[in-house]
Amino acid sequence: MKPKFYRYIIFTLVLAAVMSLSFAGNTWAKPKKFKAAWSIYAGWQPWDYANQSGILKKWADKYNIEIELVRMDYIPSIEAYVAKKVDACVMTNMEALDMPAASGINTTALILGDFSNGNDAVLTRDNTGIKDLNGEEIYLVELSVSHYLLARALEMNNMDERNVILVNTSDSDIAPAFIANGNQKAVVTWNPLVMQILQEPGISKIFDSSKIPGEILDLMVVRTGVLKENPEFGKALTGAWYEVMDIMSQRGSTADEAMSIMAESAGCSLTEYKMQLKTTAMFYKPQGAVEYTNSEEIKQKMNYVRKFCFEHGLLGENARSVDEVGIKYPDGSIQGDTNNVYFIFDSSFMKMAADGKL
Amino acid sequence: MQNYIIRVEEAVQKYRDRDGQMRTVLNNINLRVRRGEFLTVVGPTGCGKSTLLRLILGSEVPFSGKVMVNDVEVKEPSRDRGIVFQKYSLYENRTVRENVMLGLELEQFTIFEPYFRPIKCRRKRKEFREKADIYLERVGLLRHADKHPHQLSGGMRQRAAIAQAMVMQPEVLLMDEPFGALDIGTREAMQVFVLEQWQKDHQTIIFVTHDLEEAIFIGSRIVVLSQYYSDDDGGSTTTHGSMIVKDVQVPWPLPRPTDVKHTKEFNELMMSIRREGLDPDYLQNIKDFDLSHEDAAWWNGGMGWAN
Amino acid sequence: MSLFKVNAKPSINAGRILPLLPFIICIVAYIITAQVRHDENPKDKLVPTSKQLIDGFRRSAFEEDRKGEYRLLVDTIASTKRFAIGVAFLFLGVIIGLNMGMLPYFDLVFYKFFLFFDKIPALAILPILFIVFGLGEVSKIALIVIGVMPTIVLDTYLRAKAVPREQITKALTLDASHLEVMYRIVLPKIFPKVLETIRLNFKAVILFLIAGESLAATAGLGYRIFVVRRYIAMDIIIPYVIWISFLAFLADLAVRIWIRKKYTWMDK
Repeated sequence: MKPKFYRYIIFTLVLAAVMSLSFAGNTWAKPKKFKAAWSIYAGWQPWDYANQSGILKKWADKYNIEIELVRMDYIPSIEAYVAKKVDACVMTNMEALDMPAASGINTTALILGDFSNGNDAVLTRDNTGIKDLNGEEIYLVELSVSHYLLARALEMNNMDERNVILVNTSDSDIAPAFIANGNQKAVVTWNPLVMQILQEPGISKIFDSSKIPGEILDLMVVRTGVLKENPEFGKALTGAWYEVMDIMSQRGSTADEAMSIMAESAGCSLTEYKMQLKTTAMFYKPQGAVEYTNSEEIKQKMNYVRKFCFEHGLLGENARSVDEVGIKYPDGSIQGDTNNVYFIFDSSFMKMAADGKL
Repeated sequence: MQNYIIRVEEAVQKYRDRDGQMRTVLNNINLRVRRGEFLTVVGPTGCGKSTLLRLILGSEVPFSGKVMVNDVEVKEPSRDRGIVFQKYSLYENRTVRENVMLGLELEQFTIFEPYFRPIKCRRKRKEFREKADIYLERVGLLRHADKHPHQLSGGMRQRAAIAQAMVMQPEVLLMDEPFGALDIGTREAMQVFVLEQWQKDHQTIIFVTHDLEEAIFIGSRIVVLSQYYSDDDGGSTTTHGSMIVKDVQVPWPLPRPTDVKHTKEFNELMMSIRREGLDPDYLQNIKDFDLSHEDAAWWNGGMGWAN
Repeated sequence: MSLFKVNAKPSINAGRILPLLPFIICIVAYIITAQVRHDENPKDKLVPTSKQLIDGFRRSAFEEDRKGEYRLLVDTIASTKRFAIGVAFLFLGVIIGLNMGMLPYFDLVFYKFFLFFDKIPALAILPILFIVFGLGEVSKIALIVIGVMPTIVLDTYLRAKAVPREQITKALTLDASHLEVMYRIVLPKIFPKVLETIRLNFKAVILFLIAGESLAATAGLGYRIFVVRRYIAMDIIIPYVIWISFLAFLADLAVRIWIRKKYTWMDK
């Protein structure tokens, strides 16, 4: 009995050790090979074009690295980023703060691609105004930028969330569900769903992100450590991005051709895609993005966002104050806990692009 | 009209086999049974003796001809014909007593009555229980009344099944190889038991078995059903269907001591039935059937069968 | 060593220890993983330490959240209600299956339909469900019913068909009406088996329940898991997952004990 029992214990320990190693190990990142994730959204479609057209490969080759770009669903892509399965990922400033940064993944906003300028919207039936939402059920994806937008809309009308009933609704069903249910008064969502819903009669847009410009930022973020050790990864991504921006901002057939490819992978027509771009304030020139990133304004806007995150427990339910996570800006100033800086706005790569130094 | 409780008239039963061919199982069965008779039906495997029983029971209707009970044509099973099967007579989810009471409840309560009139039903149930216990006593199972069927031996289960059928006091009690699954010792005890029961109230019984000795010992009249005969149409034993090839009175009066099984006459009767009914190589001509029982139908030459 | 012998007779001690082994391995592996990850990144949220998990559970169960609710309680009540209504509807499936198994015309009309219906992956028709039933409670119950009921219908059907013909004939000779044969003879006889099938399908019920809650809800265990996913609150998700499993285990155990006590005659 005795020796056998020892064998069980040894067996147990060996198995436990093997399993924990395989759980804990993060030895994927092979040198000079990087993985970036993107998800479908008007402001991020250029990444797909960069990949398909070979522009991304061209820039990677220039810096002698390899970049693999994978398409994922939005939330899973961020989860993969937090789990360090990908090195760079597209996301909004809000998710960058409340998912990776709040989880201790030091994250740098490498490229500020655009801000939502109407892409996110509060839609209602039968001329319901913001004030009439009192006591109404509202379909939305809770704790997403839609939720943020709604909170801002209510705030601007001296109301708050306790005045409404939030129904957490998956983005995959929110449009058909709202359209089919004629009794449902309000929905908050983003493009292209906003466009789809607005095509139905009797529905109007009562608030959108153009009323809070520059608050919902669409970024390409990279893990700070990876970027520090491999600035060439940042340079390649930035170079590729602005080459695509350049193509898009030209008028005529070259731009249309590029945008048709983007539209196709977004599952819409070129016209629809162009309509979505109208509500997306793209920074086609790096200079504009650099200026906004370096501005005082972005700090104010981030303050709204981090306040929302804190109030909804998104910085961790144990977070003591809105300052829990420090945010660092290009001028060196820090918003929040200086010992806990996990979110960094870095305009230096965009600046290189602006100066033609890539 | 007459005191025949059962009349089977020119009953033919055919089934469609796997190839889609119609196969005759029973060919022109004529049978009359008097009230209080203990009729045993015996025959070789595949002769259709259980089919005949099912026709009387009403779980099958004949292809042609008819089956009358009390001058009413049989269409489906009903409470005036009780049945004991070889297996599955009892409901395993009920205790022995509940099994015996079941028929009384089904007969007197409508389906939802126990829910709407619980007091009346509870009072009634007490009566049923007393009645059930009389029968359980009679079959010697009162001690086991609260057990479930799976806790009983094979013989006890069949006794319970008999009580379950008898409590309804049916006009006829049908038994389909009731002791087929029992060992020899139990089997003999059960035969004696059934005879005792029959003596008490002269219940009309039709008893199907493949065991020749049992058939002779237990019945007051024996009917042999067989496909092994020859007729003028030249049909083969596999296609022309079974007929009643022998229908005789069993000569010993009841009650019968088990000793009769060892008498010379008993053995001679067994031998003759075995040869005329069960031997596939001995094909008796239709004209030579021993239909000596007073109620048997007889072959009336070209006129067909007559009673 | 008799590890690979079919006739091995483990000692009493082995009988006590070995069943715990896989649990211990998982827990140890988890703790080590959490430790390693927290050494590397003290703010790691993907694999919370056991202390964080306990804290997460405490906050969910015993502290009011930002809406002033005890969210574990609120979620458990919401989900249990849906579960109970869903399971109640499964008994409707038992009635349908019984009628199909017993009545040849019902059999002809419905059997092929349910056989096909059973093969529809319920999750695939979610959009249709939401459009037809809206995003409220009805669609969540409908998802459970559509997902699981055909299995129950078919199971009951087969069990009703398997009842020996003799017992049905016998009931008729005991003066049972055709309705009584179905509801007083056959149903009580097959009921424990049907209950067993319903029990085994609890997992499917929960799966559809959580799927429904993830798509649109204001409360519920599945709802919470999908909402807090938005800020990677694994310290809430993991206790919730364990809680769901525990509740499912309890429900299963309750039915198992009920069957064992109430239907002593079964399987004999």
